[in-house]
Amino acid sequence: MAKAKVTFSDVNVTVNVPVGTRIIELSEAVGSYIAYNCREGDCGVCLFEVIKGRENLSELSDQEKTVLRAHFQEIMDGWRAIGDLDKLQARMQRENFIGKHCRLACQTQVFGDVIVAPL
Amino acid sequence: MNKPVWLSERVQWIGAFDPDMRSFDVILKTPNGTTYNAYLVRGSEGVAVIDTVKAECADQFFARLEAVCTYAEITTIVLNHLEPDHTGALPELMRRAPQARLYISQSAQLMLKALLNRRDLDFTAVSTGDNVSLGDRNLRFLHTPYLHWPDTQCTYLEEECILFSGDVFGCHFCDERLFNDKVGDFRFAFEYYYARIMRPFREHVMKALTLIDPLPINMIAPTHGPILRDQPTRYLQRYRELSGQRLHKELNAGEKTLIIFYISAYGSTTRMAQAIRDGAEQVAGVRVSLYDMEGGDADLFIDLVEDADGILIGSPTINGDAAKPLWDLLSAFSMVNVRGKLAGAFGSYGWSGEAVQMLEGRMRGLKMRVPLDGVRVKLIPSAEELELCVQHGRTVGEHLTGSNAPRVIDMADLLASRQPEVESNATLTRE
Repeated sequence: MAKAKVTFSDVNVTVNVPVGTRIIELSEAVGSYIAYNCREGDCGVCLFEVIKGRENLSELSDQEKTVLRAHFQEIMDGWRAIGDLDKLQARMQRENFIGKHCRLACQTQVFGDVIVAPL
Repeated sequence: MNKPVWLSERVQWIGAFDPDMRSFDVILKTPNGTTYNAYLVRGSEGVAVIDTVKAECADQFFARLEAVCTYAEITTIVLNHLEPDHTGALPELMRRAPQARLYISQSAQLMLKALLNRRDLDFTAVSTGDNVSLGDRNLRFLHTPYLHWPDTQCTYLEEECILFSGDVFGCHFCDERLFNDKVGDFRFAFEYYYARIMRPFREHVMKALTLIDPLPINMIAPTHGPILRDQPTRYLQRYRELSGQRLHKELNAGEKTLIIFYISAYGSTTRMAQAIRDGAEQVAGVRVSLYDMEGGDADLFIDLVEDADGILIGSPTINGDAAKPLWDLLSAFSMVNVRGKLAGAFGSYGWSGEAVQMLEGRMRGLKMRVPLDGVRVKLIPSAEELELCVQHGRTVGEHLTGSNAPRVIDMADLLASRQPEVESNATLTRE
């Protein structure tokens, strides 16, 4: 079976996995800081950052897109409260709300080597 | 009987008293009952009902509402929080005032459907920055999630500087005099409510306070307990104190704390705990504390647990299980936020040694991080096994400080070591 390498940079662990594995199946087992809650793509808690290899991840489903948008609203509100607008704008420009660098661990499958980290 | 209470000329309390309730939501004792606070705001071009009450108390709510308005006048219904004690009377209210527009937070949308089990619901989802006008009275919404559900929000009445806060700043205290300058001493109820309901979400409390702080506040009108009209900002300040650092800062900048809780029948698990501590302390920047749970109760340690970066739990295996004081300790963890803290288990055993993996499973269940398999030793630890405990402690310390060496592992091995079957995981049966 085809293999891929998933590196969790926060705990310095690389896992050799069969392609098609979901990030969340690994993040909990290696003890990464990537948090999770519902495991169903609903709550947005398992948002993580793709450091390298985003082309090797599954495409976004409509469900994931919806939750990412909803979750970014929350992040924006958080930043608005803190007043760090530069950081907010930088993130918005980078992201364009479509999960380029930020994905949900419970929805994202691996098809090649990636490096990931908690947000 | 069942008269409304005036907060101002245009704002009335139309909630319900529940003086005989003695326990709430399973987790709270309510020694003098509670109130479900709902409010009515009258503007020149509309009437808003803010929150409702528990279904069993709906008669009180409707009687008070009817004393100050007709159903046809209601234009607006706002729900700050969807828990059934505030939405119980909602279906009947919507039936009697079908023209009223319903306003809920973004995260409340799916919950509302699940609560009412109706498909034909029509509502407007709002967030910070959204307003609804009643003519000469205007309501502004504040997105304050996770206080204590994902859906929670606050509603601010601009012209009168009243904050309808939902559960936040509330408490279970039933006193018909209703205002904080009239009722009995409710400080205990206020603190207890914070500790059991809001404390696990203290980061979110802080975020909400930054949204609320710039607003002038004449009155805080929560959904339970007294209405805070005398020195309302005192309660904001108290929330800020309660959500801040519990223990005074003892650590140097960048230092990490590791707490080892254990219990031991014949001293073997104690010796393992000491060896793990010795190892962890070899890592610069890690401060370790050791607590024997035979000498302490879970509640005593909750402040420390909240503040700790890492927590290890050591237990012997007794009748195939971890010892009860450690389960009691773990059951207290949900009083604070432990998500993301480093965790692990260890212990000595006689026959089968299930305790370690059971404790690890529970801590994973609490969404703590368990990056390392726990050390298990059959009966009395040998010098060699104690040295393995020291090494394990060092690795735990390195994980805490982020100085651990890179590791490559196959997924099959990773998942195998997470299986509850014990024999495949006998890590220390080397001769």
